[in-house]
Amino acid sequence: MISLQNVSKKYRTQAGYKVVLDDVSVEFPVGKSVGILGLNGAGKSTLIRIIGDAEPPDSGAVHCDQRVSWPLGYAGGFQGNLTARENARFVARIYGESTRYVEEFTREFSELGEYFDEPLKSYSAGMQGRFAFSVSLACNFEYYLVDEALETGDARYREKFRMAFEERRANASVILVSHNEQTIRRNCDMAAILHEGSLVLYEDLKEALLEYNILQNLPR
Amino acid sequence: MNVHAAGLAVNTITPSRVIAAIATQIRVINALVLRETKTRYGNYKIGFLWALIEPLVGVTVFVAIFANLRSDSPSGMPLVPFMLVGFICYGFFKDPWGTMQGAISNSRNLLTFPQVTTFDVIMARGVLEIMVNFFCLGFLLYMAHLAGFEVRCERPLGVLVVCLLLCILGLGMGFLFASIEPLVPSVKQLASQVMSRPLYFGSGLFFTADSIPAPIREYLLYNPVLNMIELLRGEFFYEFETSYGSWSYSCWWAFGTLAVGLLTHQALHKRAIVKK
Repeated sequence: MISLQNVSKKYRTQAGYKVVLDDVSVEFPVGKSVGILGLNGAGKSTLIRIIGDAEPPDSGAVHCDQRVSWPLGYAGGFQGNLTARENARFVARIYGESTRYVEEFTREFSELGEYFDEPLKSYSAGMQGRFAFSVSLACNFEYYLVDEALETGDARYREKFRMAFEERRANASVILVSHNEQTIRRNCDMAAILHEGSLVLYEDLKEALLEYNILQNLPR
Repeated sequence: MNVHAAGLAVNTITPSRVIAAIATQIRVINALVLRETKTRYGNYKIGFLWALIEPLVGVTVFVAIFANLRSDSPSGMPLVPFMLVGFICYGFFKDPWGTMQGAISNSRNLLTFPQVTTFDVIMARGVLEIMVNFFCLGFLLYMAHLAGFEVRCERPLGVLVVCLLLCILGLGMGFLFASIEPLVPSVKQLASQVMSRPLYFGSGLFFTADSIPAPIREYLLYNPVLNMIELLRGEFFYEFETSYGSWSYSCWWAFGTLAVGLLTHQALHKRAIVKK
């Protein structure tokens, strides 16, 4: 289970401090897919980076007792001048997985063919996304953190990925951030809304989407 | 230590958790070193040659100068091994420092992985530099031997200890500068423009302390690197025993700098991560 305890985070900008998280405490239940909705700039990416321990909060603590993925998106943590194979091996090593297995799985699943031994920077955005998600599936995480970009590659590949992900969801939990309610509706069991520093978790997905609709249409 | 990676629950510390955490850290640093090797040397065939060329350039220039200036070698030591030892071992100090200082700002994408910490990315660079320098030292001394120069090491263990002191000093400087650099980028210029040149010329790479006039020598000996290079030559050469290099002074500097570097890292690393 992942839980946040009194987590606060603010950034210094030209105009002063911008509060992203204001004393947020929340528990993400096991075995559920939780969507986090928020308007552009609400701090969704920051939140998922804090959950994934890529960035420390100003105060408070993140507790977690399971294997968590890095925040999946486009090729976030990868090195452009290394090949897909080398990047896959690196991920396998830091997670203590078999390098051969991760390498093979990724090569098969990503369908990159001969590009698998080309530097990542020569890839299109779609190909990078395919690679990133294939590596993450190879690693068998208990928690998948997803930052927006589930919709990657062409329609056929998206379908393949969705199937594999669906299968994985049977014994893994997902935390997905998006500003797009369609993405959340399709992939999540419940949702939370991040707005002006506070995070509210709704048991009922419909209720959350309704709230988010109201929020989106508020005059700003 | 990272709780995600080791699969730990709350904050209680047990021996098995400590071991798991250490295992994770070693695994991560190992992966980073392999990756760093690939990015630094993998894609360019001549990449690795640079590691050899850099000390060789210094050695060649100074050997040429000294061979023409005077016939006798410094304090009776053979000229080429004298220069080789000085210039390569200076790398044990300078190279970790030089490459570690950009570690955080150049590895931001790596830090998105939960178990990769700023300590790991800084340390990995230092480890790689130290390994490369040990390889260079062995390789170039062996080449010098094959080329017919007299290469005999008096106390190999002593040489190793001094090399490690130089490494520790370099790691300390590396941690210090790597932690400050994301917040104050100009420390890089301070290192490369202001500090590195006097150190290069004032650390005894191509002279011994006793060849310097006494009043100047007094000040030069405040430089810990000069102390270490003196000790190194004393341990390496049968012909030479240093009367100026101080073990205790060198040790204080090495471990003191490492402590300052690590404490600075501890104090600043959270702010350094966030800084774009």
